[in-house]
Amino acid sequence: MMDKMIFGRYIPGDSVIHKLDPRVKLLASFYFIGIIFLCNNWQSYTLMFLFTLLALSLSKIKPSFIINGLKPLFWLILFTVVLQILFTRGGEVYFKWGILSVTELGLMNGIFIFCRFVLIILISTLLTLTTPPLSLSDAIEYLLRPLEVVKFPAHEVSLMLSIALRFVPTLMDETEKIMNAQRARGVDFGEGNIMDKMKSIVPLLIPLFVSSFNRAEDLATAMEARGYKGGEGRTKYRVLKWQSRDTLTALVFVVLTVILVYVRN
Amino acid sequence: MVMDIQFEQVGYTYQPDTPFAFCALKDINLTIKEGSYTAIVGHTGSGKSTLLQHLNALIKPTAGVVKIGDRLITTDTPNKNLKEVRKEVGIVFQFPEAQLFEETIEKDVAFGPKNFGVEGEELKKVVRDSLQMVGLDDSYLERSPFELSGGQMRRVAIAGVLAMKPSVLVLDEPTAGLDPRGRKEMMGMFYDLHKEQGITIVLVTHLMDDVANFADYVIVLEKGQVIKQGLPKQVFTDTQWLTTQQLGVPAATTFAQQLMARGFQFDTIPLTTKELAQEIAKILRKSGEQV
Ligand SMILES: Nc1ncnc2c1ncn2[C@@H]1O[C@H](COP(=O)(O)OP(=O)(O)O)[C@@H](O)[C@H]1O
Ligand SMILES: [Mg+2]
Repeated sequence: MMDKMIFGRYIPGDSVIHKLDPRVKLLASFYFIGIIFLCNNWQSYTLMFLFTLLALSLSKIKPSFIINGLKPLFWLILFTVVLQILFTRGGEVYFKWGILSVTELGLMNGIFIFCRFVLIILISTLLTLTTPPLSLSDAIEYLLRPLEVVKFPAHEVSLMLSIALRFVPTLMDETEKIMNAQRARGVDFGEGNIMDKMKSIVPLLIPLFVSSFNRAEDLATAMEARGYKGGEGRTKYRVLKWQSRDTLTALVFVVLTVILVYVRN
Repeated sequence: MVMDIQFEQVGYTYQPDTPFAFCALKDINLTIKEGSYTAIVGHTGSGKSTLLQHLNALIKPTAGVVKIGDRLITTDTPNKNLKEVRKEVGIVFQFPEAQLFEETIEKDVAFGPKNFGVEGEELKKVVRDSLQMVGLDDSYLERSPFELSGGQMRRVAIAGVLAMKPSVLVLDEPTAGLDPRGRKEMMGMFYDLHKEQGITIVLVTHLMDDVANFADYVIVLEKGQVIKQGLPKQVFTDTQWLTTQQLGVPAATTFAQQLMARGFQFDTIPLTTKELAQEIAKILRKSGEQV
């Protein structure tokens, strides 16, 4: 099950998209998600889809893989779209049943919401598929740095983020190992009624907590032993460098915005 | 029920159909006979732990068939009704201390058998007996497993599997990280179980001396494939091959080889210290007769 989870994983590669500065990618993704909400007709959505497809193809990641990544989110999308269709009213009525009705406006809204969802998921999947988690957290640290003026702990937040990201796979492995160990002792995960299911979680969660606390302590000790004492005066191993392709990306986004403003009503 | 475990052209791929797909086992054919003591050796990452998880259907082969007793496990076997298999085949995982979770040692050891329906006085007895076997007395029953030392936690975890009274006991590097005495005690205890109760044992280990001392069958894994299997005598005779595979040779065998380099002649190459002593005694006796 966890094996299939593509959303949020990094696949190494050397495409243009992989090589972009993580700061650019992060900002651009947020910016893109922002301007998705400017779309209000099918032309503007088409534009955004074309742009996304271009970015995806530039990343050279297998399309089947990205589609597989969308699958786990299918039900969430469907649920939202159906709600939208059933509860929005306006325009011609196609179908009515009690408080539920399918109207022209509802249908349109449903389709647009669907497009928004898919676009947002595609672009954020692209971001995480092509950017190593550590670069992402470097980018976040950089972008949060101005806030240090108001005593915001940018370095610490980014460190916490990197550590968290770094240990996600470890925790997944650990979860699988402990699940297997307890299954070997006769636990059936995900079987029986709700109470049984809750009970079967305990032998999984407690060992996970215990090992996470132990690991956190070990990590803190190891960091201190190697002279870590916060972000002040600390140099970087991965230095972020702005390059011409990053400027180009920024320009592309300016152009995209101009066209978008032009085609929306 | 006959509890032979048989692998027929078994393959296993982690995360199939993704860019992370990794083929951990390829075309494995082997039989673990009821009542045998089988050792599985191989380098780190050669697929030993993956293979072990097939022994009680924790993972199902992505190719081929695993026969556990009279149960057939294939890719399509549903996850239901596997409890029987799990009860018959107990696995002590690598670093099993990670599986402890109860407030007291008694409850933790009782967890397995309880899941398989053991209750009341019988449960109490089986918990005590299992703790006894791993060398922990009744004073430990009410203590928390988390206040023990690493080695003691290991013992509690092993007791937790023994308490299920499996007929096949699978051990994944059970003594890694234990002190020499603890190691000797543990290995001795497993061997006694094997000899006295006829329990089938599958042992994953890096220590060739353990293989020589206890096992009656050896399987060598490399990059997900079986590259050699047979009696310890057969596998260890080709010491040159073992050295090129960087698998190591039992200490007694190394010793015998050095003696051979200085002109000793052995009838059979000794694998254990005991055999070595007997062989040397035999040779000395012979040369004594000649004098
Ligand atoms: N959950 C997993 N997902 C992906 N690959 C794995 C997983 N578990 C093990 N592997 C890979 O399978 C190979 C065999 O692993 P394993 O069976 O643990 O080897 P061994 O126990 O012999 O050291 C290793 O290369 C390992 O990286
Ligand atoms: Mg292993």
